[in-house]
Amino acid sequence: MKVKEILTKILLIEIFKGLALTLKMLFSKSVTVQYPFEKRNIHEGFRGRHALVRDPISGDDKCIGCMRCTTVCPSRCIHIKREKRENKMVVIDYIIDASRCVYCAYCVEACPVCALVLTEDYEYSSYERKGLIFNKEKLLKNWDEFSAKWPADYYFNKFWQPPGIDPSRWPKTKREQGPVPLKRGVEIKREVKNEQLPS
Amino acid sequence: MNPENERELLINMGPQHPATHGVLRLVLEVEGEIVKRCTPYIGYLHRGLEKLAEDLTYVQSLPLTDRLDYLSSMVNNVGFCLCVEKLLGINVPERAKFIRTMLSEMARICSHLVWIATHALDIGAMTVFLYAMRDREKLLELFEMVTGARLTVSYPRIGGVRCDVSNEFLKKLERFIDEFPKRVEEYETLIDRNRVWLKRTKGVGVISAEEAINWGLTGPTLRGSGVYYDVRKFFPYDAYDKVEFDVPVGKNGDIYDRYKCRMLEFRQSVRIIKQCIERLPEGPILADNAPKIRMPASPLKIDKEDVQFEIYVDDKSVEDFIKKFTDIYASVEAPRGELGFYIVCDDSAKPYRMRVRAPSFVHTGALPRLCEGGLIADVIANIGSIDIVLGECDR
Amino acid sequence: MIETLYVIFVSILKTALYFGILLLHVAYATYAERKVIGHIQLRLGPMVVGPHGILQPIADVVKLIFKEDIIPSNVDKRVFAIAPIISLTAALSTFAVIPVDKNFVISDMSVGLLYVLGIAGVGTYGIIFGGWASNSKYAFLGGLRSAAQMISYEVALAMSLVGVVLMAESFNLSEIVNKQNELWYGMFLFPQILGYFVFIVAALAETNRLPFDLPEAETELVAGYFVEYSGIRFSFYYLAEYLAMFSMSALAAICFWGGWTAPPVLIKIFPILSLIPGIVWFLLKVYFHIFLFFWLRGTLPRYRYDQLMAIGWKVLIPLALFNIVITSLIKYYQ
Repeated sequence: MKVKEILTKILLIEIFKGLALTLKMLFSKSVTVQYPFEKRNIHEGFRGRHALVRDPISGDDKCIGCMRCTTVCPSRCIHIKREKRENKMVVIDYIIDASRCVYCAYCVEACPVCALVLTEDYEYSSYERKGLIFNKEKLLKNWDEFSAKWPADYYFNKFWQPPGIDPSRWPKTKREQGPVPLKRGVEIKREVKNEQLPS
Repeated sequence: MNPENERELLINMGPQHPATHGVLRLVLEVEGEIVKRCTPYIGYLHRGLEKLAEDLTYVQSLPLTDRLDYLSSMVNNVGFCLCVEKLLGINVPERAKFIRTMLSEMARICSHLVWIATHALDIGAMTVFLYAMRDREKLLELFEMVTGARLTVSYPRIGGVRCDVSNEFLKKLERFIDEFPKRVEEYETLIDRNRVWLKRTKGVGVISAEEAINWGLTGPTLRGSGVYYDVRKFFPYDAYDKVEFDVPVGKNGDIYDRYKCRMLEFRQSVRIIKQCIERLPEGPILADNAPKIRMPASPLKIDKEDVQFEIYVDDKSVEDFIKKFTDIYASVEAPRGELGFYIVCDDSAKPYRMRVRAPSFVHTGALPRLCEGGLIADVIANIGSIDIVLGECDR
Repeated sequence: MIETLYVIFVSILKTALYFGILLLHVAYATYAERKVIGHIQLRLGPMVVGPHGILQPIADVVKLIFKEDIIPSNVDKRVFAIAPIISLTAALSTFAVIPVDKNFVISDMSVGLLYVLGIAGVGTYGIIFGGWASNSKYAFLGGLRSAAQMISYEVALAMSLVGVVLMAESFNLSEIVNKQNELWYGMFLFPQILGYFVFIVAALAETNRLPFDLPEAETELVAGYFVEYSGIRFSFYYLAEYLAMFSMSALAAICFWGGWTAPPVLIKIFPILSLIPGIVWFLLKVYFHIFLFFWLRGTLPRYRYDQLMAIGWKVLIPLALFNIVITSLIKYYQ
């Protein structure tokens, strides 16, 4: 035992073992993803850039101005401007300050009509702070940009209906929320499909 | 500095030093290469999280805890949730407990991987850094898959977890932990028996068991000195009393023993995750009486006065309980040590005062004890071995 | 008169050719290092500038040259300016006596080996001056460490080469190579294995490479003696470091691996090998050592300052002395 220990010490066995490992690694495939040129797949439900879902029928957002998101937001970065017009609340502007956002997606969960979403888009850095303050127009534009890139025809965010929670706790609109069609044509097709289903 | 002693040199290490793990600033008084005095200055990352929590409801405070120890945000979240659950008397369903345990251990592996990476890099073994990062990337991807974020997960909920894990995730996790022990061996080939590593770590930064307790050290830093203490064993939370695992304990209390403890914890974490996957029960993932984000049918209910309270706690019994002026402490075994949350509550849905017992803060306090009398290079090794994260230390 | 002019002309041409190729090598050594270390660490290394980043060194040089020359306010300006030049000059001068092929050497000095060791010592001044003049505590500590380290390891380095000198009975580097070629295996590596080991360890320390890169220990002293330098001055230090690596590799190739000659036994077995020009053999041997330097950097952690000194004085020097005694005894009884 003693002799063996001395031998390993003199012959630098452990250093040669390390060298052998690094040599092996030298000829194995590297794990680098060369980011701007190639991108890794983002998993569904990644909490990225904010967007307001554009309703394919009305072409506008679905926000009803209930202020749930504003209240739940821990960093208080959502501001909703509303106005009472003919006894009806109308949302004039919807502002998210993304530079203050902590990306907890509480707003997405709280929204009773699934109007808001944190998309899987993560490339939206800006040279000025202004670029990170999204108003309604910008949020809808974010959605268009995102939906153009999205591979499927439908989109459904997993935080709209957090799984594992009893659906009876959700409001009706949330409970009945299905995947959002990304284009107008798709919507019609789906309706046809639904009609055909019973027959 | 004492002007009479002209042999001493005052060195300001940090806050932008590459090896101080963030923004720790150390003022070293050195004589040649020997450190005579070492004074840590902290607070460069102070964001007032404890004060912020006083203005947020319990549910809203949860994302704040992500930012404590950002390398293992899952464990912080669990710690906070445990404390609030204790306060509100919520029983977490079995499945949620197992999921929490599983993800906590994933966070522990993640955090220890960053530790081995930076610790080895500080001592000069650059390659270990990238090997560890390679494996951490896989874990972060798993985190992303289930929680929607890589680092600041905000995954647990008061009374359970946020969303369920998928079978695909479990399969991927299983594949990862099957090959992970081999990776740990890889790091060990490079550093564990390497004479340079042994020379740098053995007999350096020694702290005896008694002293370690007196300094308030916890976690692997304490266990390296031979003290058998682990919150997971002594005050079991979540599913830790239902899984089998050992707590590795060192002997000499030097950097090498602390290193060894963490290396063995990798294997124990793998063991725990394996058991969690095997025994993951079916069932709900959120307790029935958990404070939840309630979604009323009428959107104009918002005009009511105590709106925050209305939203988060709609259970009358919980409301009654919270009305009592009480205080509560709960702790978890974070990768760095015992992470405790102490909450004093009044009759609102917000804490009256929240205090975080951060292991990094306590460990930074013991840094002068470890460094003084050693060499400058030992300071770096010591910072690595107590594994501090300044986000947690400064809060 | 014409003859003298001719000699001068030829030496200038030789020098220009030699150093041009040398500097190109150094530039691409930085590239090679980043690639080798990158692949060891499962990364790719530079990939963007040119195909597989092949133009990276050129981009680096351009960047360093056109960078603003920053001189911190409280430095000793003259010393600050001259220190990197000393380092670079010393590192470049070493190559004046290093033969790369048969009869291709700028100055075939009879005391070539001594000259190399002496000039390498001068380079230390550049580092100490730089560390002192920067008026920065980190640079100062780096400079001090480097001074202590280089002086102690120079002793071991010189002593490890004494065995070679004893065997070759000459200080002339070309002569050393020729003597090796007389042996059937063509290199002093085998009889001088102990000397070779000491030489490699001392060379690692002498060139500030891991595991002995204490003067510039990134994680302790940030960058050591050149922490305040930037732009072209920084590149001088950088060049000097890589040149030192090349000179040590060249020295190892010449003194232990038989320089530009192939082992006679190999040529006897494969006569076709004699067609390969000497420079190829020489470069292969140098590249091997350079790779060894990179490889070790990718594998080993860093020693502590006191441990480094202990290894130098308590392990390497006794080993080198032992080697000298053994070699002398063998030489005496032959």
